[in-house]
Amino acid sequence: MAEPSADLLAAQAAEWIVRLTADDAAERARARAGFEAWKQADPRHAASAARMEGLIGRVQAVRANAAGNPRPAHAALNAAFAPDRPRNPGARRRRLGAGLAAVCALAVPAWLMLQAYPPAYLAADVRTAAGQWETRTLSDGTRLALNGASAVNLRYDENRRSVELVQGEILVDVARDATRPFLVETAHGSIRALGTRFVVKREDGATVLSMLESRVAVQSAAAPAASREARVVGAGERVRLTPAGIAPSEAIDPRSLADAWQFRQLVVDRHPLPAVLDELDRHRRGRIHHDRAQLEGLVVSAVLPLDDPERALQLLRTSFPQLRMRAVTPYLLLVDAPPAR
Amino acid sequence: MSAAEFVLQQHIHTLYRDHHSWLHGWLRKKLGCAHNAADVAHDTFLRIIASRDALLGIQEPRAYLTTTAKRLLVDRVRRQSIEAAYLSELAHAAETLPGYPSPEQTLATLQALEEIGAALQGVSAKAREAFLLHYLDGQTHAAIAAQLDVSTRMVRKYLVQALANCLRGQGG
Repeated sequence: MAEPSADLLAAQAAEWIVRLTADDAAERARARAGFEAWKQADPRHAASAARMEGLIGRVQAVRANAAGNPRPAHAALNAAFAPDRPRNPGARRRRLGAGLAAVCALAVPAWLMLQAYPPAYLAADVRTAAGQWETRTLSDGTRLALNGASAVNLRYDENRRSVELVQGEILVDVARDATRPFLVETAHGSIRALGTRFVVKREDGATVLSMLESRVAVQSAAAPAASREARVVGAGERVRLTPAGIAPSEAIDPRSLADAWQFRQLVVDRHPLPAVLDELDRHRRGRIHHDRAQLEGLVVSAVLPLDDPERALQLLRTSFPQLRMRAVTPYLLLVDAPPAR
Repeated sequence: MSAAEFVLQQHIHTLYRDHHSWLHGWLRKKLGCAHNAADVAHDTFLRIIASRDALLGIQEPRAYLTTTAKRLLVDRVRRQSIEAAYLSELAHAAETLPGYPSPEQTLATLQALEEIGAALQGVSAKAREAFLLHYLDGQTHAAIAAQLDVSTRMVRKYLVQALANCLRGQGG
């Protein structure tokens, strides 16, 4: 929001600077004294004057760089302000040039903002930032571990114990309580347990349940309330709850999953690379942008350190030499696989 | 982080997530080159992020994105014309110059020219000319007045306009 006096300030500063190079020597001398006093009167005066002097400085530098010959600069600026001429992209494409560094430098703080979390995350009872892990013991003795960029709401009362997974991934080690069922709830359904250990993860359009020990009853939010039938999921099974319902289960190795949690690793077995990058993205401060279609064919089997995403990326680069990773800013990493020449 | 800041972040996040691939595809079709398309798509988002206030008022995100991307393409063309004109004139002048500028100097000059061009954006043609004649060529106010066929008072007014404009352009 501009201050009402900003235009006036700019005009005053410009007026002084113009007088500094007036044709009349006496006026120049008076202007020098007056300009100094004006700048000292207010730091904003000095700041706006400095910007204008910076512009003049650039103009003179441009001239100096062409050994004092102003013609190339004139030609360039005339070209810049020439009315739209017929395009000749062929000739111009050959001149593709000067970097976009200035734009990028400007954008660094803006990319910081991309570590955005939805409001529900900020309002949650327990939450972790990217790359931060936390384990808590709840009032009933249940242990709740949150992986990076995760958030839960806790709703405990005399009839039930409920954990709402807002985003991210949690591992729960449920304490027995015969009178109060334990539930993990998401938009996609609820998972009800009695003394058991499992991992629940929120993805974009789904909730993924991985059973480590014992069993749970899963209820989808998709079916009409009356006909909701709980599905029992046992150790070593993984199911996805989506708006369409509960998908058939697939087998997992509970041990390696438990280890992965303990050692903060991402264990992937024949996963498409984009999915792995998405996962690393969640654990890294900033943002990884990748060309999904281009990378879809690359399949990863690896154990990657989630608490050191930079190292994980380095490992991926070693396994896939065709990958190109460009840090546009410290917060934005572009990953693609340019076709080999 | 303030609430307003937070809402802004949300907007950017959603915009990027929902439309980045689409914009990339649109540009690829338009430019016929995947790499340029990726660069321009990227710059489009950077520019939108830099112009934070506009972000909140976006009604038609894709229309907004393509407008911004088109503007960027125009800027690219302008940048290329600046570069082409400068280099060709420099080559002409080279015979009479005591030493040819180094590549680093040339690059710095091109960047400075772009900045000067941006600072003079929106200034009238006469004011721009007066500005360049004075600060680039070092002509006196009187000489410029004669060349542009205006009073010296007017020349001063032009110079003030051009200088004051550099504050406006950068949202300062």
